Amino acid sequence: MAPASGARALIARALRRLGPPLLALATLGVDGRAPRIGETLESAPTREVSGTTCVGANDLARLLRATKFWHPEVRKLILRAGPHRIQLTAEDPFVVVDDGTVALPAPVMPVGGELQVPVALADLLPRDSTLARLVFDPRRRVLVVAPPSGVLGSARVVVQEGRTRLVFEADRPEEVVVVSRARDHFRVRFGGFFSGSLPDALPAAALVQRIRPIGAAAGSAFEMAVSRQATGFRVVRDTRARRVVLEFTREPSSEFTAFAPEGPPGPRDLRVVVLDPGHGGRDAGVTAGGLVEKDLTLALARQLESEIGRRLRVRVVLTRTEDRDVPVEARAEIANRARADLVVSLHFDGFPNAAAGGATAYVPPATYSSAGFTGGAGSLTVLAWREAATRHAVESRALGEAILSSLELRGDGPILLRELLPYPLLGVDAPGLLLECATLTARADRERVGGRAGMAELAETIADGIQAYQRNE
Amino acid sequence: MRRVWIGLLVVAVLASVWYGVTRRSPAPPAPGGARGDSAGTGLKAVRLFFASPDGDSLVSETREILEQSNLHERVAALVAELDRGPRGGGVAALPAGTAVLHAYLDEGGGLTLDLSRAFEQGFRGGAMTEYAAVASLVRTLGANLPEVKRVLLVCGGAPLATLGGHVPLDQPFDVSEWL
Repeated sequence: MAPASGARALIARALRRLGPPLLALATLGVDGRAPRIGETLESAPTREVSGTTCVGANDLARLLRATKFWHPEVRKLILRAGPHRIQLTAEDPFVVVDDGTVALPAPVMPVGGELQVPVALADLLPRDSTLARLVFDPRRRVLVVAPPSGVLGSARVVVQEGRTRLVFEADRPEEVVVVSRARDHFRVRFGGFFSGSLPDALPAAALVQRIRPIGAAAGSAFEMAVSRQATGFRVVRDTRARRVVLEFTREPSSEFTAFAPEGPPGPRDLRVVVLDPGHGGRDAGVTAGGLVEKDLTLALARQLESEIGRRLRVRVVLTRTEDRDVPVEARAEIANRARADLVVSLHFDGFPNAAAGGATAYVPPATYSSAGFTGGAGSLTVLAWREAATRHAVESRALGEAILSSLELRGDGPILLRELLPYPLLGVDAPGLLLECATLTARADRERVGGRAGMAELAETIADGIQAYQRNE
Repeated sequence: MRRVWIGLLVVAVLASVWYGVTRRSPAPPAPGGARGDSAGTGLKAVRLFFASPDGDSLVSETREILEQSNLHERVAALVAELDRGPRGGGVAALPAGTAVLHAYLDEGGGLTLDLSRAFEQGFRGGAMTEYAAVASLVRTLGANLPEVKRVLLVCGGAPLATLGGHVPLDQPFDVSEWL
């Protein structure tokens, strides 16, 4: 299994060349929900006992989520996990697992008051959903809990006769989904935790020019930049070999799927920008140091309205212009009726620990959570009204990255991008995001936005980001 | 006659010895291990998730707690441990006083978790806090209760649209997306 930290280092190296804002995005991670590259699975250290790699019985119980029962009179430790029962005996290589007995390569040894169990036991335990699956990682010398969704291994690149193949080792090849077919943002989501690494460098002749991990609502997702010379792609799911092959071709072929139609490169056509000042009325939002979120969001929206109007030929619509309650459905309706080209829901953050600060953007995830069904003429994906914004996930992410980069450049970081459908975007059918512009519970942020010129500077910075998104640089 | 008395005496001595021996003997061990297991107190290691100090991720902490007999007690014990707060370097993510009123698990692994009013009324903060509260709950339940596949949060027996206006709570969270 290749090192996850290697992938992280690779991404950091690549993005360092692109400048600090993108580096910050990659370093901070994109989503705190699921394990990502650089994070670790639940694990336990191992040690060598008389030449055998062992794990402590307490750690073993923790990883198996087992309850321990120690019987000192017979020096037996019983681990009960769900319907399973594992009986370990000190100085005995035989382990009773449920109704059977398995033999370990070495006895279970008491060392320092704790039984040390050979890690070979991991391969001898039952494989079912009621018992955690343990895998020994010989490189890191740890015993790891494999996630229920499986593991996605390293990717390797094969370039051959006008075709480029990316080969992934995958526990669940059947779960791979192409999320976006655009060449510039070709996105693929796999089931399982990515524990491998990405290639250090892509061959010059490869049709894939860049690959990077991105946040996903489930599993592991990657975004690739595909060469304009590529005419199509296909996904081969080899369940027997537990492998997924993403294949790109230069020559047109009926066996390959075409990429999504691409508009002309250049500026995006922005006509309507909807600004949503968060909270209002009885809902004050975060209050800290005399600052009230609902007042700040309205003041910022007004500043931003004039700033955007000064720079871009667009109509700016506010979902509220006074201090009043506006239900989330009404905000969505205002945006949809205005035929918004983008929606920015403005907020200010708060956290119990004053060490937390900076800005966070929440964008719709690049995955559909609604189930599809197969009709008579083929498959049809039904998208719930509440999740309409997920149709614009790629554009929303681009908007989020543009605004966060702008904030970072101005020193308003640290920045963080999370892929989570935010509450204010329920039912919104446009690219958009929830932007926590600063953290009011952090003294530095509070002084910056609460100062005399703070709000005007913040509006300028966000407008810079929106303008960069519009220029499509 | 003398022999009869000696015989009776021997029988009486043997009977009293037999009675004493059988009275002092411990009960034979229970066959198999299962009954023996349940006679003791089981300790179980649980993995709890709290917010990281900078609020951008979660940190985990392992504790050993007494094994609980049913799902409601197990869920309640986990939430109670979260409410007690971190012992390491994390930050408490749940509103103070949050407790479990009911926990119902359907056949498909959907857990409806009915939390006390403190969960809603005690919430203070922005999206970072709200996200941490939800993530802390869902990841802790998912990491310790493999039978739970989805978690729907309700409060005081009623549906909850959102906690602070940033994270939708109207739909269950798929645990696999948070593990």
